[in-house]
Amino acid sequence: MASAGSGDEKAAAAAMITLISSDNEKFEVTEATATLSQTIRHMIEDGCTDGGVPLPNVTSKILARVIEYCKKHATAAAGEEGSSSSFSDAAFLEVDRAFLEELEEFDDAFLEVDRATLFDLILAANYLDIKGLLNLTCQKVADSVKGKTPEQIREMYNIVNDLTPEEEAEIRRETQWAFE
Amino acid sequence: MAYFPEEVVEHILGYVTSHRDRNATSLVCRAWYHIERRSRRSVLVSNCYAVRPERVHVRFPRMRSLSVKGKPHFADFDLVPAGWGARADPWVDSCARACPGLEELRLKRMVVTDECLKRIAGSFTNFKSLVLVSCEGFSTAGLTTIATNCRFLKELDLQESVVEHRGHQWLHCFPKPSTSLESLNFACLAGEVNAHALERLVARSPNLKRLRLNRAVPFDVLSRILGRTPKLEDLGTGSFVRGNNAAAYVSLFAALGKCSSLKSLSGFWDATGLFLRGIFSVCKNLTCLNLSYAPLVQSADLINIIRRCTNLHVLWLLDHIGDEGMKVVAFSCPHLQELRVFPGNPSATTVTEEGLVAISSGCRKLQYVLYFCNRMTNAALITIAKNCPQLTSFRLCILELSSADAVTGLPLDEGFGAIVQSCKGLRRLSMSGLLTDCVFLYIGMYAEKLEMLSVAFAGGTDDGMVYVLNGCKNLKKLEIRDSPFGDTALLAGMDRYEAMRSLWMSSCNITLGACKTLAASMPSVNVEVINEAGASIDEVDEDASNATKVEKLYLYRTTAGPRGDVPGFVSIL
Repeated sequence: MASAGSGDEKAAAAAMITLISSDNEKFEVTEATATLSQTIRHMIEDGCTDGGVPLPNVTSKILARVIEYCKKHATAAAGEEGSSSSFSDAAFLEVDRAFLEELEEFDDAFLEVDRATLFDLILAANYLDIKGLLNLTCQKVADSVKGKTPEQIREMYNIVNDLTPEEEAEIRRETQWAFE
Repeated sequence: MAYFPEEVVEHILGYVTSHRDRNATSLVCRAWYHIERRSRRSVLVSNCYAVRPERVHVRFPRMRSLSVKGKPHFADFDLVPAGWGARADPWVDSCARACPGLEELRLKRMVVTDECLKRIAGSFTNFKSLVLVSCEGFSTAGLTTIATNCRFLKELDLQESVVEHRGHQWLHCFPKPSTSLESLNFACLAGEVNAHALERLVARSPNLKRLRLNRAVPFDVLSRILGRTPKLEDLGTGSFVRGNNAAAYVSLFAALGKCSSLKSLSGFWDATGLFLRGIFSVCKNLTCLNLSYAPLVQSADLINIIRRCTNLHVLWLLDHIGDEGMKVVAFSCPHLQELRVFPGNPSATTVTEEGLVAISSGCRKLQYVLYFCNRMTNAALITIAKNCPQLTSFRLCILELSSADAVTGLPLDEGFGAIVQSCKGLRRLSMSGLLTDCVFLYIGMYAEKLEMLSVAFAGGTDDGMVYVLNGCKNLKKLEIRDSPFGDTALLAGMDRYEAMRSLWMSSCNITLGACKTLAASMPSVNVEVINEAGASIDEVDEDASNATKVEKLYLYRTTAGPRGDVPGFVSIL
């Protein structure tokens, strides 16, 4: 589907960017993939990507996963553009639907990670400003706290309770008495 | 592991929408508390006297939607005297001062004046939704100010409110040339409605999805309206008699056929079976049907409709459908989740345990039952409990007070006991019939998730209430009327009342002395004694006064202290 673009777009899509993880691993990705990150997009626009983009906050393990996500979604975005600029006949709608379903399946599988990895993915998505990935991972965390007690949430995400017992009692009381 | 940065926590909380989950996240740690409170847009206040309005704005400065509940539930049965309180104005005034960005206001069982509505209309520039459930104190003049000034209004819902009729111009006043209305419910209005204004309003409201008319809207007007609302999902009709003529009849049902999104039907005022046949074409799509305003439709005609409604999730009926009708529901509506059967004409046929047993065997997804019937048995309740273990709400009202098992003559303890034992997720229970301490023992033992218990004309000794207070750890609301519970029972719950939202006891056996004892040891609980006879408690001799029976007691925990709007007939001890 990506081939549906014009010649210029092809040239842009072919441009490669090097991303460098905190542990110094280098990842070659297309510009289309890299620019799902607003942070990297701005660096490209400012012309500061020669010699690679150092990402001191992201380990190679997490960066590999992030790139996996971006590749998939960049392809999907290109596919969507390709089909929507053409006739929207039944065949294309069918293709769109198939794409979306495939993407959903990908996202579901992508989120099958332990809490520590999920946490690191969120930090990376936040730092790299990848909206789709941030939404996806934050939604996952939100789903995981639904129906849980404050104690369970703290335990799940290793959050230290820094409220004094008095403060906590006061908040608990007001919350339960007035807002439940 | 490091912490989530603040903006990430805010992003996560953006996906946490239920009040319960938001409340839990607010207690995780200091940062989460502040991020949650600063980002909460929708706030629920479950008792208007539990917190001061000003405090709500301080804690939730970005609130856009506010829901406030006022009077206790028994107000629905006229047990709360007029003038008791739950006025909306302190809430509206504080929002007007502190929250000009308010978009939604939902009030339940509150007194809303025209002045209040005027304040709402004038204070919130982006106001979108006004929902007044079982409210009173305002008139159609107040609605005029809302319609005139709220340019972006999407929803106006007057569900079960009492509205004084002061002219019907309000329907004229919605924005021109077009409105943003998506939902308009004025089914509760008693007065006339200007048909032309209504037709023009609908014509300029292209997004209307929900429209519930009142009884005054003639049939031919409805038929003309429907032609313009193909997107309608929820329709409450007007009268089926006024303005009914052959042409209107034909065009209404032609128009109905085109409303392919229609999922919910109600209204049918004054309808007879003959005219109802016209809705056959939409029956199959309906998930929600309310026939409880149509007492003139014969049972056979009701059955004829219902057997076509095979996708119903919610069904409200009058009891004259009879047990045979209930069997048809059971057979035709396998997806039914909510059933409410109300009493109709007292001289007509009613429903019995047989009908509800049939329902329980046919509708295995049933979660919510409200059932007025004229007899019940333990065996039936045991079968129902077995068939529908996923019930979350079970409200049974046997019309004859304190009736025993219709076959054995025994109390209904075992039957209700089976309900609480099988239905592990039961949150709401209303009981009636002949009941002894035993049933309360079962409730205390088994009803772990129970949040609201209503008891009327039932019970044996104080032990019954004590079992419930000691047992049901999740109980939030206990309301009791015309039952023999006394001071011992009341005082036994002393250490429970702060964990509950409220307790109502009327026409029970409690004395002023016990209420005073309670109040003295529980400074955070407002103990209200409602004495309509009017004698002020303080003026009477102390000993004599302590022995006085308390007609009505309402107690609730509060962070706000005693309320400042106490009428003469209420004493806060």
